[in-house]
Amino acid sequence: MSQVHASPRGEPLLEVRDLRVHFPTPDGVVKAVDGLSFSVRRGETFGIVGESGSGKSVTCLTALGLINRKSALVEGEVFFKGRDLLKLSNEELQKIRGKELAMIFQDPFACLHPMYRVGDQLVEAVQIHDDMSRKAARERVVELLAAVGIPRPRERVRDYPHQYSGGMRQRAMIAMALLHNPDILIADEPTTALDVTVQAQILELIERIKEEFQIGVILITHDLAVIADVAQTVMVMYAGRSMELGARDAVFDKPLHPYTWGLLESIPRVASKGELLVPIEGAPPSLINVPPGCPFHPRCPHRFSPCDDQRPDFKDRGGGHPEACHLSAEDKRRLWSEREARRTKVAV
Amino acid sequence: MLALSLLLALGAAGCGGDDGGDEAGTEASEGVDEGAEPGGTFRTQTDAFEWTGNFDPTGEYLATFLGLYQNLLGRTLMGYNHVPDAEGNELIPDLAEAEPEISEDGLTYTFTLREGVMWGPPLDRAVTAQDVEYAFRRIATPALVAQYGFYYLGVIKGLQEYSDAGGLTEDPEGETPIEGITVQDERTIQFDLEAPTGDFLYRIAMPAAGPIPEEVAKCFLTAGEYGRFVISSGPYMIEGSDQLDITSCDTMQAISGFNPNQRLILERNPNYDPETDTPEARENFFDRFEMTLNTNAQDIFDRVRQGQLELAYASEPSEVVREYSTNADLEDRYQINSGDRTWYITMNLTQPPFDDIHVRKAANWIMDKEGLRRAWGGEPKGLIANHIVPDTMFNNNLEDYAPYATEGDAGNLEEAQNEMRQSKYDTDQDGMCDAPQCKGVLHVTRTTDVWANMAPIIEESFAKIGIELNTRQFEDSYTIIQTVKRQVPVSSTPGWGKDYADASTFMVLFDSRSILPEGNVNYSLVGLTPETAQELGATGTVEGITSVDDAIDSCNELMDEERLDCWQELDQQLMEEIVPWVPYLQGNADFVISDAVSKYVFDQASGDPAWAHLAIDQDLQQ
Amino acid sequence: MGRYVIRRLLWTVLVVLVVTLLTFVVFYVMPPGNPSVRFAGKQPTPELIAQVEKQLGLDRSLPEQYAHFLRRLFLGDGTECPLVYRPLCSIESVENFVVLDTGGCATGVSGCGWPGLGMSFDSRTAVRQELIERTPRTLSLIFGAAVIWLVVGVSIGVISALKRRTIWDRLAMGFALFGISAPVFWLGLVALWIFTVKLPFSDSLGTGYVEFGNDPVGWFTHLILPWTVLALLYAAFYARMTRGNLIDTMGEDYIRTARAKGLPERRVIFKHGLRASLTPIVTMFGLDVALLVGGAVITETVFNIQGLGNYAVQSAVSADLPAMTGVVVIVAFAVAFMNLVVDIVYAYLDPRVRYS
Repeated sequence: MSQVHASPRGEPLLEVRDLRVHFPTPDGVVKAVDGLSFSVRRGETFGIVGESGSGKSVTCLTALGLINRKSALVEGEVFFKGRDLLKLSNEELQKIRGKELAMIFQDPFACLHPMYRVGDQLVEAVQIHDDMSRKAARERVVELLAAVGIPRPRERVRDYPHQYSGGMRQRAMIAMALLHNPDILIADEPTTALDVTVQAQILELIERIKEEFQIGVILITHDLAVIADVAQTVMVMYAGRSMELGARDAVFDKPLHPYTWGLLESIPRVASKGELLVPIEGAPPSLINVPPGCPFHPRCPHRFSPCDDQRPDFKDRGGGHPEACHLSAEDKRRLWSEREARRTKVAV
Repeated sequence: MLALSLLLALGAAGCGGDDGGDEAGTEASEGVDEGAEPGGTFRTQTDAFEWTGNFDPTGEYLATFLGLYQNLLGRTLMGYNHVPDAEGNELIPDLAEAEPEISEDGLTYTFTLREGVMWGPPLDRAVTAQDVEYAFRRIATPALVAQYGFYYLGVIKGLQEYSDAGGLTEDPEGETPIEGITVQDERTIQFDLEAPTGDFLYRIAMPAAGPIPEEVAKCFLTAGEYGRFVISSGPYMIEGSDQLDITSCDTMQAISGFNPNQRLILERNPNYDPETDTPEARENFFDRFEMTLNTNAQDIFDRVRQGQLELAYASEPSEVVREYSTNADLEDRYQINSGDRTWYITMNLTQPPFDDIHVRKAANWIMDKEGLRRAWGGEPKGLIANHIVPDTMFNNNLEDYAPYATEGDAGNLEEAQNEMRQSKYDTDQDGMCDAPQCKGVLHVTRTTDVWANMAPIIEESFAKIGIELNTRQFEDSYTIIQTVKRQVPVSSTPGWGKDYADASTFMVLFDSRSILPEGNVNYSLVGLTPETAQELGATGTVEGITSVDDAIDSCNELMDEERLDCWQELDQQLMEEIVPWVPYLQGNADFVISDAVSKYVFDQASGDPAWAHLAIDQDLQQ
Repeated sequence: MGRYVIRRLLWTVLVVLVVTLLTFVVFYVMPPGNPSVRFAGKQPTPELIAQVEKQLGLDRSLPEQYAHFLRRLFLGDGTECPLVYRPLCSIESVENFVVLDTGGCATGVSGCGWPGLGMSFDSRTAVRQELIERTPRTLSLIFGAAVIWLVVGVSIGVISALKRRTIWDRLAMGFALFGISAPVFWLGLVALWIFTVKLPFSDSLGTGYVEFGNDPVGWFTHLILPWTVLALLYAAFYARMTRGNLIDTMGEDYIRTARAKGLPERRVIFKHGLRASLTPIVTMFGLDVALLVGGAVITETVFNIQGLGNYAVQSAVSADLPAMTGVVVIVAFAVAFMNLVVDIVYAYLDPRVRYS
C-alpha cells in the first residue's frame, strides 16, 4: 500500500499504516477495520466520515489502546510521535492516553461518571499525569472550564454531571481532553447527541482550540455537514475501508467515489435550497460477510464487471486525491456531473 | 415452609396426648450400675421445652415435669420407687408415713404425714397437712387451670362446689372449708370421696396433689405464675430459691434457676433429710442438675457422645438409633424401656366406610403393622400392639392377646376379605370394598418423618381391601382430628401415654362424656348419641353407637385385681365389639446416655429416666 | 433531611400498625386451632378451655384484642405486669458450656415496660423481655455474617468479573452455585460435624451463644461457624450480583472515559466501576439484613442460638399470638429502619438521588 499524503503541511503527528482490526466471534470474524492508512498533522482537522458501523470509532479506539487486545486481532502500525502505539504496553499507553492523545466521545450524558463531581473527575485527570497538588489541579481545571466556555466555572466544578446541560457536559469533556495540552484530540461524533445550536458552538470551540493549541484533531462523524464546516482533510470510510481521502474542497466539489456521491446527495446543501435528497439504496454490509470485490458494489448504481470480484486498490488515479473505485477518471467526472445536473434539474 | 419442617424434624413434637415419638427394642434395657458415687453435675439438654402450664405443679401436665417433680422437687403423699417395669408402677408412701387408712366403703382415706419433711429455702418449715389441703384449693381454683383437675373435682366431696364458687380469692378471710378434705392436725389429713374410686391413690401421687405452701403460692392466682416460684419439698430445689424474699408478694422475684424457655437448674435442698425418705425411692447422687435448651437435636447427641452431656433428652435421629443399636460397645449407652404408650390408627365410627364394624375389623386384619414399625425405625421402637392398653400396665396379662394376629404382623388378606364380605360396602361379596364410600377416604396424618413414612404403607394395606385413601398431611394434625366438626374418617396421627399406671387413663379415650367440640380425644366418637352429635354438628351414622360409659364407671369403682380384670375385659370388648382403633405399636421410652453415667435406672411411672437414682463418674465428664 | 426522617418514621409506625393488624387478622381468619385448647392440657374440658381463653384474652373480640395490643404497645404494659417478670439479679453461672441467661439485670430492664408486647401464651413470660434477650443474639449473628458475605461476596464477584471466562471466574461461579444450592441446614450440620466432632475444637466452636459482655472471645468463637454458614448463601448471591453489575458497568461510556484519561486499570475498576455497581447491592443488603432479623431460622436452630428467628417459628408453631406479633413488630421496624438507612446511604452514593 502506498503512502498517502493528502495535506502536505509539516510532518505527520499520527500515521496509520494498513491497520486491520478483526474481532473473532462465534458467527465469524468481524472485520471492523480492514487495511486502513492515513495520517494527521499538527493544526489539521482530519475528518473521518461514514455510516455507523463503518469502522470509524474502532480505528480511534484502537489507536488509544482502548480495544480489548484479547478479543481483537490488530495488525498494522499506528505511529505517533515516532512510536508505534500498537506495540506499547498498557502502562506506556496509559501515560500517553489523556496526556498526549485525548479523546472525547459521542454521548456526553454517559461519558461522565454520574456519581462524581465534574470538577473531581477533571482533577483526577490532571493528577494522574501531573504531580500536582489538588489545589493547583483544581485551578487548572477551573481555568480550562473557563476556556471551554463554562460560566462561573469556580462554582460549577462542584456540580455533578446531571446538573450540567448536554452542551456543558461536552464542553467539560473537551476541557478534560485539553488538560494536558495533547498533541491530538480525537472527537468521536462530538455533536451528534446535542441540539443544533449547541452543535455549532461545540464545533466552533473545537476549531478554536485547534488553532489556539496547534493540535491535530481527528473528527469522526457520520454527518458530512459537520465535516464540511471544519475539516481540512476528509476520509470517507465504508465497511472498514477507506473509499476516498482528500482535501475538503476536493472531496466536496470533485468527489471521485460513488459512495461519496451518495453521501453528498443525501444531505441538504445550504446554498441550494429545494434540492432533491436521495438516500443511498440498501444497507451497509455486515462486517462478517463483506461483499467480495468493491464492498460498495451491491449498492452502487454504476457497478460493472470487475466490481463484484476485484477489490479496487486505494490509490490516486489522477483525480488529485486517492480513492478506491474501478471507474476510470473520465467516467467518474462524467457520472458525477450527470448526477449533479439531475439533482439540480429536479429541484428546478 | 422448609425451615418449619426442618425445625419440626429437629424437635420432638410433644403435643399433649402423644408425648414424643420415642422408640426402642423388644427387650427392656437392664439399666447401668457401675458403682455409683455421689457428687457432680448432671447435664442434659432438650430440643424443646413444652411446658403446658409453665411448671406450676397445679396445672403442668407435661410428662417431663411429672418425672422431674416426683423424683427431685416434690414429695406427694403417695409416690413411686422410680424403678423400671411393673414394680415401678407400684405406689409407695412418700410424704405419707404409711399407706393410708381406707374405710370399708372405700370412701374415706386418711393419711399421716412423715415427721421431719421440710420445705426448702426460703421457707425452712415442716410440710403440713394444711399445705396438702391448700394444693387442693388450688386445683379447685378455675383461674389456675388445673389441667387434670378432673381427677379430683367431683371425686372428692365438696371440691366441685368449691370450684364453682370460684376457688381461691385474694381475700383469705373468705375461704370456705371443703367438705371432703379434713385437716385433723398438722400431720393428718382425711379425704372423703363422692364414690369409690379405685385409682384414687394414683391420683394422689400426681404433682398437683402434693403440698404447696400458701405463704408463697397465695401471691399467684393466675395459671402458670407459681411455676417460677416453686418451693421444694424434695431432695433438690431450683437454683436461687434461697434468694427468694418472701416478706411480701411485692418482694418476690422469679427464681433464677428456671426459665421456661431456656433452662432448669437444680441444686441440693439443704433442708432435705434422707432419713425421711428411702434409698429405694431416691438416692440423690448428683449435687446439681442442669437441663438446658439446644435447638439442634443432633448436636445434643454429639455432645453426649463426647461426654459433654450425660443424657440426651430428645428424640433420637434415625442415624443415632442405628448407630447405638448396632454397635455392641454402645449397647449399654442406649437405654430402652417400655414407655407405656400405644400408637394407633383411629377410625371414626360415624364416617363411612368405618361406620361398619366389619370394615374396622378388616382394617385390623389387613394392616401391615410390621411395615409401620419399620417406618418408625424397626424393633427398637417398641412391641407390635394388638390391643389398647400397653402390656406392662396389665402386668403382661394380655401379652398374648391378639385378636387380629397375622403372620409376621404383616396383615392377612384372607381374614380381612372375610370381614369385608360381611360389610354393606362389599356388594358383590368379593372381599373388596366396591361402594363409592370407599373411594378417596380422607386420611389425616402428620408431616414429620415417621408419619410421612407410614402413609404409603397404610394406603397400600387399605387398598388391598378396596379402600382408597386420600392422605393429607398437616403440621397441626392433632388440632384437626380433635375438632369433631372436621369429621375425619381415619387418622394415623395419634398415640397415647398413661398419666399413671391405671387403665382408666386410657379408657377415658372411649368415654362419651369426654367428647368435646374441640380438644376432643375420643376421636372414634365411641358412645356418641344422636343428641350430642347434633349439638356438636357431627353428621354421618350417629345412630346406634355402642357406649362403654357404664363399663368404665363400674371398673372405676373396683380396686386391685378385680379392677385389673375389669379393665382387661373392657380392652378386649373394645377390640372385638367396637373396634375403634388399629393399634400397631407399644412405644418405647429410650434414652442415650454418656460414658460418665455410672448408674442409670428407668422410671416406669413417669416414662423418663429415674433422675433420683442417676449417678455420674465425674472423671469421665468432659 | 430532618423532616424527611421524621416523615419516614411516621410512615414506619403506620407500616407496623398495618402489619400487626394483618398478623391479628390472619391469626383469626386462619387459626391453627384454638390456642386455648393447647394450653388446657391433654384432656381439656370446656371449662378449662374457657378459663384459658379468658386468661389469654382470647374471649374478647378481635377489635378489642387489637385495641389492647395497641394500648400496650404505645403506653407500655408495666401496669399489667405480674411479679413473675421481675427476674432476680444474682444469676449464678451455669456450669454448662451454653450460657443462655441474660436475666433482667444483665440488660438492666425488667420484663414489662414500654413498648409493651404482653405475655407469651406459651411460656407466660413477657414477650418484651424475651425479645430483649434474643435480639442481641440475632443481631450478633447477622452482623458478623453480613460483614463476611459482603467482603467475600463482593471480592469474589469482582475477581470473577475481571477474570471473565478464566479458570478463576469458573471457580468463583462454581462456589456461587454451591453456596446457593447447599441447604443451610445441611451445611450447618456438616460444619458442626467437622469442627466439633471430627476436630477437637468443640468447646470453642460449638453450638450455643455466649454473651459478648461475659466473654468476648467466646462470643466470637461460638459465632464463627454460624457466621460462615449463614454468610455462604448470601456471599454466593452477592458474588453473582457483583459480577453481573460490574460487567455491565465496565461497558459504560464513563468507564471508557476513565480509561481515556489514562487512569490505571485498577483505579478504573475500583474507583469508577465498583462505585456504580455497588449501589444496587446496597439496596439488596439493607433488605437482606432486615429480613434476617426474623428470618435466620435455620442457622439459629442448628447452632442453638436462641434468637428471634427461632422464636418466630416456635411461636408460630404453638400459636403464640403475642410472641408472633412481637417478632413481627421487630422485623417491621427492622425493615423500615434498614430502608431508611439504605435511602440515606444511596443518596450519599448516588448524587442523582440526592438532588432530585
